[in-house]
Amino acid sequence: MLALLVALALAPNDARAQDPRLAARLDKPTQFAVNAIVDSARAAALPTAPLVEKALEGAAAGSDGPRIVVAVRHLAARMGAAKHVLGPRASADEIKAAAGAMDFGVTVRDLARLHAAAGKRPLTMPLAVLTDLLGRDVPLVTATSLVVQLTRAGTKDAEFALFQRNVRLDIEHGADPAVAATTRGRGMMLKAAHTGGRPTE
Amino acid sequence: MPEHDDEIIEQVADELRGPVPLSASFDARVMRAVRRFPRHSRHSRGAVWSRLTAPRAIVVRPLSAGLLAACVLALAGLGLVQAAKMVRAAAKPAVGGVFARTAKPAATQRVQFVLVAPDAKKVAVVGDFNGWDASHAAYQAKHRGGGVWSVTAPVPVGHHRYSFVVDDTVWMADPTAPRASDNDFGLPNSAIVVEADK
Repeated sequence: MLALLVALALAPNDARAQDPRLAARLDKPTQFAVNAIVDSARAAALPTAPLVEKALEGAAAGSDGPRIVVAVRHLAARMGAAKHVLGPRASADEIKAAAGAMDFGVTVRDLARLHAAAGKRPLTMPLAVLTDLLGRDVPLVTATSLVVQLTRAGTKDAEFALFQRNVRLDIEHGADPAVAATTRGRGMMLKAAHTGGRPTE
Repeated sequence: MPEHDDEIIEQVADELRGPVPLSASFDARVMRAVRRFPRHSRHSRGAVWSRLTAPRAIVVRPLSAGLLAACVLALAGLGLVQAAKMVRAAAKPAVGGVFARTAKPAATQRVQFVLVAPDAKKVAVVGDFNGWDASHAAYQAKHRGGGVWSVTAPVPVGHHRYSFVVDDTVWMADPTAPRASDNDFGLPNSAIVVEADK
């Protein structure tokens, strides 16, 4: 009797492996396809919540099933590549952020450079800022190089946030995206060098 | 007490002290009964198994049985409650601007989202923290005047993507937040990194 009660208590865990929100918002074929991708990601020790969220985003956006499946599959592939570079200790947030940056063209080589520059520090914020720079049309080479240098200089998350804000404001005021990013980046690195940060390239 | 009573008592006592006569077959009958019991020897095969499987008569008082049953049920109930709590906690999603921080140290932080949309009739925040659900009650923005819409809502610590949905139809990125990739569905998204307050 006790064993049955314990088994019943544990049973919901198995049910949760397939997110009920997918069943509520996707048609059956799409749901099965997404669940299969989620299961594969789980087997590969990848975070699965971003995949479910991507499917829900597609449903909310009114996309058709095949497009949702393609998006989820691509995200899983990018997360797998990101984890391969960032290592098994990468957090789910880092993997998500890296996958987002790769969607803008950041290569695994760039990721590896960033990972080496960060050492043991988390990469979530640098990757979010890198993605933003790319989204504001800062050239890939410029944006990646800047973020790698700032990371190597020991820039803290709050300083990265300030850098992103300043670049955004400069661009909104008409500055060229590459010039805005480079100028603000140099300013931050000079400040880091002045306050005893690590030397820049 | 009269002397003759003492004599009677003495005679009864003598009778009781005397040996009990047994029939000749009594010993044989007793030994036959004894031999029917299994020998308890360390060296006999199956002795332990026999002891383990031999039926036992256990006497249980109703009060003790009732108390024991109550304890078992209470433990089972506690276990169920605990398991349900674990399931609910695990089901919660891992758990504006690029960097949100509030004064409350918790796995979820309250973040203010602001959008200027003078022509809007309704603004909601959707993101990976609320299943991209534009009808989620906690993420409905209120008009503060002058075309400014805002809502302060819980967002789990971590990296998230979100957008504003205006009038249930138009998706808008947060102009003050970092842009997130939008190649999958062609709709603009923003990124936010929510940190736990240290």
